Amino acid sequence: MNLIDRYIAEVGRHLPEKNRSDIEAEIRSMVEDMLEERAVSANSADEKSIAEALEQLGDPKLLASKYAPSKRYLIGPDWFEAYIQTLQRVLYIALPVFAAVTIALRLADNPLDFASALGRAVGGAFEVGLQIFFWITIVFIFLERSDEVPYETRDSKPKAWTVTQLPKTPLKRQISIGEALTNIVMELFLFVWIVLPPMQAWLQGENDYVPFLHPNLWNLWMPIFFVLFVLTLIHELFKLKIGNWTPALTATNVILGTATIIYIVALVTTQQVINPAFVANLDSAQISQIRSIATWSTWTVGITATVFIGIILWDMVNSIRLSKRLNEPSGMVAAVKNVS
Amino acid sequence: METDELVQNMLLELRRGILSLAVLSQLSKEQYGYSLLKALTDQGLEIDQSTLYPLLRRLESQGLLQSDWRIVDEARPRRYYVISAQGKAALAKLKREWSAMTATMTQMLS
Repeated sequence: MNLIDRYIAEVGRHLPEKNRSDIEAEIRSMVEDMLEERAVSANSADEKSIAEALEQLGDPKLLASKYAPSKRYLIGPDWFEAYIQTLQRVLYIALPVFAAVTIALRLADNPLDFASALGRAVGGAFEVGLQIFFWITIVFIFLERSDEVPYETRDSKPKAWTVTQLPKTPLKRQISIGEALTNIVMELFLFVWIVLPPMQAWLQGENDYVPFLHPNLWNLWMPIFFVLFVLTLIHELFKLKIGNWTPALTATNVILGTATIIYIVALVTTQQVINPAFVANLDSAQISQIRSIATWSTWTVGITATVFIGIILWDMVNSIRLSKRLNEPSGMVAAVKNVS
Repeated sequence: METDELVQNMLLELRRGILSLAVLSQLSKEQYGYSLLKALTDQGLEIDQSTLYPLLRRLESQGLLQSDWRIVDEARPRRYYVISAQGKAALAKLKREWSAMTATMTQMLS
């Protein structure tokens, strides 16, 4: 490779893939023009004139950066603050709770062995921390992408701003940060609870592992669950960011809530949710007190589903109620009352 | 020293503002990058190649210029740029603004 090739390769390394080869060709052509100006052809040019020409073009990284439409981020300045805050708050809540629960459970099992309980708690907290870090990062990467404004329109005039866009009263948050964060953490725990045990069993190659949920669910119902899960998580992050039941946020809440209820009802009425093999594995003493495995499963699933649907319904109604108050002139008073 | 640096930065900003206008004004006849650079420097406007070429590309992506690779006079293929209809319209507006601006500034600075 001669100097020119090396220079162009170095520029290309820092260019967006989309038009890399075209820009590279153009740079090569302009280097050749410069050499021609010095009355040497590119093939016969001596190292010194090539070096001079390239140095006139300057640092390849700098040149490439001038071609790049804008700085690119995994999580950009718009989202970074919110990202760090969410991460901190969730970790501050989740890790101590997780560690405390682990220690309590371990000690209940074996009251004398505090050291191993502590060890287990620290190790587990580390894993949970990684999970939380991973999922929150993924969600913010999506947020960053969803927010992206195409370069061409970035410099164009924003919509004319008038004073009517000012909020009528400086609003306090209707959705407290704690509430939003708690929802997020609960969701993540639900997710971990569902995904972690089968994953661990699979990783450790346990062939005789009996999953709690019916294996058939993974074909269709679990993928739908994951989609709902991610959407809900994003929705919760917006709740955290916006803090009030704006029309858009309320509408999303109602739509997501309705979808989740439909999902739960359809799941419970058409599918066997709990793995019969799991129930069969339960302690025989426990089983004897239950009339039959089928009724036990039905009751467990039914009660859980009813509780979930109740919570979602209440949340939907509450969001609609609060969103109406948002537009009242006394919105601030109402919101403050709701917080306290 | 510090003032010098400040002045330097302000000059850079001033120059950056007028470069697009200068480039658009010189591309009623098609040019390739290096010939345009020559034309600009010959007329007294110093501009770095590393500034000019990305600028050409940006103006093209904004629809103010058109370009394609072509071989002229049996030379190597080069990318030729020429002003587009949209660019002409923009240039006419910019020219008017420029005249008004220079008139104002001349008056202010005299």
